Amino acid sequence: MDCMETRTNLLAGRRGLLSPQEAASLQEHLRGCELCTRADAADIELSRTLSRLPRRDAPQALKRRLESRWAPRERRWPRRVGQVVAVAGVGLAVAAGATLFLGARERSDAMVTEAVNDHLRVLYSEHPVEVESGGIHQVKPWFAGRVDFAPSVAFAGDQDFPLKGGSVAYFMDRKAATFIYGHRLHTITLFVFRADGLPWPPADGEPVGSQRVYVRDDRGFHVLMWRHGDLGYALVSDTSPTDLRELAGRLATPGTGSESPRTP
Amino acid sequence: MDSLHHFARYLSGSAVDAEDLVQEAYARAFRAAPTFAWGTNLRAWLFRILRNAFIDGRRRTRRTSDEDASESASEEVPFAHEPLFGDIEMEALRGAVAADIERALSALTADARAVVLLDLEGFSEGEIAEIVGCAAGTVKSRLSRARDSLRKLLAQYRR
Ligand SMILES: [Zn+2]
Repeated sequence: MDCMETRTNLLAGRRGLLSPQEAASLQEHLRGCELCTRADAADIELSRTLSRLPRRDAPQALKRRLESRWAPRERRWPRRVGQVVAVAGVGLAVAAGATLFLGARERSDAMVTEAVNDHLRVLYSEHPVEVESGGIHQVKPWFAGRVDFAPSVAFAGDQDFPLKGGSVAYFMDRKAATFIYGHRLHTITLFVFRADGLPWPPADGEPVGSQRVYVRDDRGFHVLMWRHGDLGYALVSDTSPTDLRELAGRLATPGTGSESPRTP
Repeated sequence: MDSLHHFARYLSGSAVDAEDLVQEAYARAFRAAPTFAWGTNLRAWLFRILRNAFIDGRRRTRRTSDEDASESASEEVPFAHEPLFGDIEMEALRGAVAADIERALSALTADARAVVLLDLEGFSEGEIAEIVGCAAGTVKSRLSRARDSLRKLLAQYRR
């Protein structure tokens, strides 16, 4: 390595990002070059110096402004709940999205778009979870009085897909109970909502668990949707489709620890 | 959003501009959501949108001229002819306070500043390339040149 290459690789070298050969070549150059050795020492000092750069977090007023701007427009539930949701769940997001994209797309695609927008809202949110998960038995009762149906969810989370918590969101024109699962570094959102009156795609989904599930991709996210009884389910994430089907399989197999299953 | 604001604040060098940029980035992210591409890293995507908003804003207000002039001057210094980074310079670097760091950052070109800040945010070379729209192979040299300039600037301030 010459001086030029050495300088370029100093930082990567210290971070252990070089191949063994490159690292050896870098060390060899440093042993014989006073200028580069000094530069390396100075660069280490620079890292320390830069760590003293003050953090500039977003001011609260800005957060509030963005929150009110991108929050969904409809907030008709009781005020105290509204406040909780305003502070927490609706977050900063790509919210009014559905209305923007509705006209251009197939009607059932609008549901996919909405699911992804709602998922983005969860991802962008400062507080995606309104009720922390101490287990499904804490999350499900929390929805009582917040949504006008009992969200029937068969899967309580496990090591692969831990349940992080829940929140209330809007899905199209109605309220949705939102369950947030993790999978490695990915966030997976399950929306549960009343199924009636929505532009569901024709019944030709693929079998997952005991359901027929519609699988769609949108903007890099996978969306799995199905109906069970009166309820609709939309599962969204950027995790692999295989992992998402795995979770859908657990969710869409009623009778494993939830309310009595209803036949579609 | 805090790290996005942090980036905007130092990229633009102004608290007011930083707020505008974050708001603009959210607005654009919202509009651009349908074009969000498969496999794209969401965080990197937001930063890229903000950085583009910054570039557009500068283009509009024509604040680029002086920075562009200093860009070429600061870039090509042959290593063999540069002075040794000595103890006095090291002392200056050690003694640099927040205001010095901000000043040195603002003296960099916007591109160099962006690369340094994004690296501090923990983005990988590939992600930085995606955000600033350059070839992944050039990020390492851009970053090392930018840090080289920072070291020299900071060493000057306290001499
Ligand atoms: Zn050398």
